[in-house]
Amino acid sequence: MTQEPQEIDCQEVLNRLYEYLDGELTPVREAEVRTHLATCAPCMSVSNFERAYIHFLEARTRAHGAPESLKRRILEQILFEGDTSPTS
Amino acid sequence: MAQPSDDKRHAFEAEALPHLDSVYRVALRLAGNEAQAEDLTQETMLKAYRSWHQYRPGTNARAWLLTILRHTFINEYRKSRRAVAEIDVTAIEAFTIFGDIHDVDPEGSFFNQIVDDEILQAIDALPDEFRETLVLSDVEGLTYAEIAEVTEVPVGTVKSRLFRARQALQRTLYDYALEMGYITRREA
Repeated sequence: MTQEPQEIDCQEVLNRLYEYLDGELTPVREAEVRTHLATCAPCMSVSNFERAYIHFLEARTRAHGAPESLKRRILEQILFEGDTSPTS
Repeated sequence: MAQPSDDKRHAFEAEALPHLDSVYRVALRLAGNEAQAEDLTQETMLKAYRSWHQYRPGTNARAWLLTILRHTFINEYRKSRRAVAEIDVTAIEAFTIFGDIHDVDPEGSFFNQIVDDEILQAIDALPDEFRETLVLSDVEGLTYAEIAEVTEVPVGTVKSRLFRARQALQRTLYDYALEMGYITRREA
C-alpha cells in the first residue's frame, strides 16, 4: 500500500518532533513534518531548539570510556577463563 | 594448534570488546558511581563471555551486551544504588521550556554554559526507566527498536519515556541555568 503525504497541523508536528529529529519516521511521515516546518516559523523554532538540545546532550555525555585498567582486568579475566592450560 | 577456547576468545575480542566503552558508560549511569560501574562492567563482560555460545554472530552485539548489563544491574546492583532526589516526570506532557525562553534564547545557547558534571547529575536524578531510556538514546545513540529490545518494552513505551525524560531533564537544566544566572527569566 502506498501512502501519500498528508497535510498535518502544528500539534501533530510536535507529537512527532522527537521521532523526526531522531530519524525514526517513515519517509512519508518525515516528509509531512518537513513540509510543515518549511512554512511554519513557530514549529521550525521549536524544532531548532530541540535539535540543539539533543546535540548538546550527545556532545556532552559521550566523552568518557572505560578506564584502561578495567580493560586490562577484563582481558586478563577472559584469558584465564575456561582454559586452565597456559597459552603459548 | 588453535583450540576451541582460542576461537571463542578471538570472536569475543572482535565482536564484544569493541563495545566495552558503551557498556561502561551505561553502567556508570545505572550504578551511579565509578567503583560499582567497573564491577558491573566486569561482571557483564564475564557473563557475556561465558554465554557467548548464545550470541548469534552478526546480530547486534552491543544490544546483547547491554541487555546482560541491564539484567545484572537490576538483579544485583539496583538495591544498593544510592538514593538521589528524583526528578518528577509525571507532570511532563508537552514542550514547555521553549515557550518560556523563545524570546530570550531561542537557540538554547544557555545549555553550553552548563558544566558536564551538572548534566550527569541531572541525568542521574531521573527515575530508573527514564534514565536508562535517555542514556541508551542520547548517550549511546541506540535506535528506538534497539532500546525496546534492551529494556524489554514496546517501541511506543520507549517513545513516551524518551519524551518525558528529555523534557524533565531540560526543565531541570533550565532551572539550574536560571539559578546560576546563565539565563534570565522573561519579564511577564
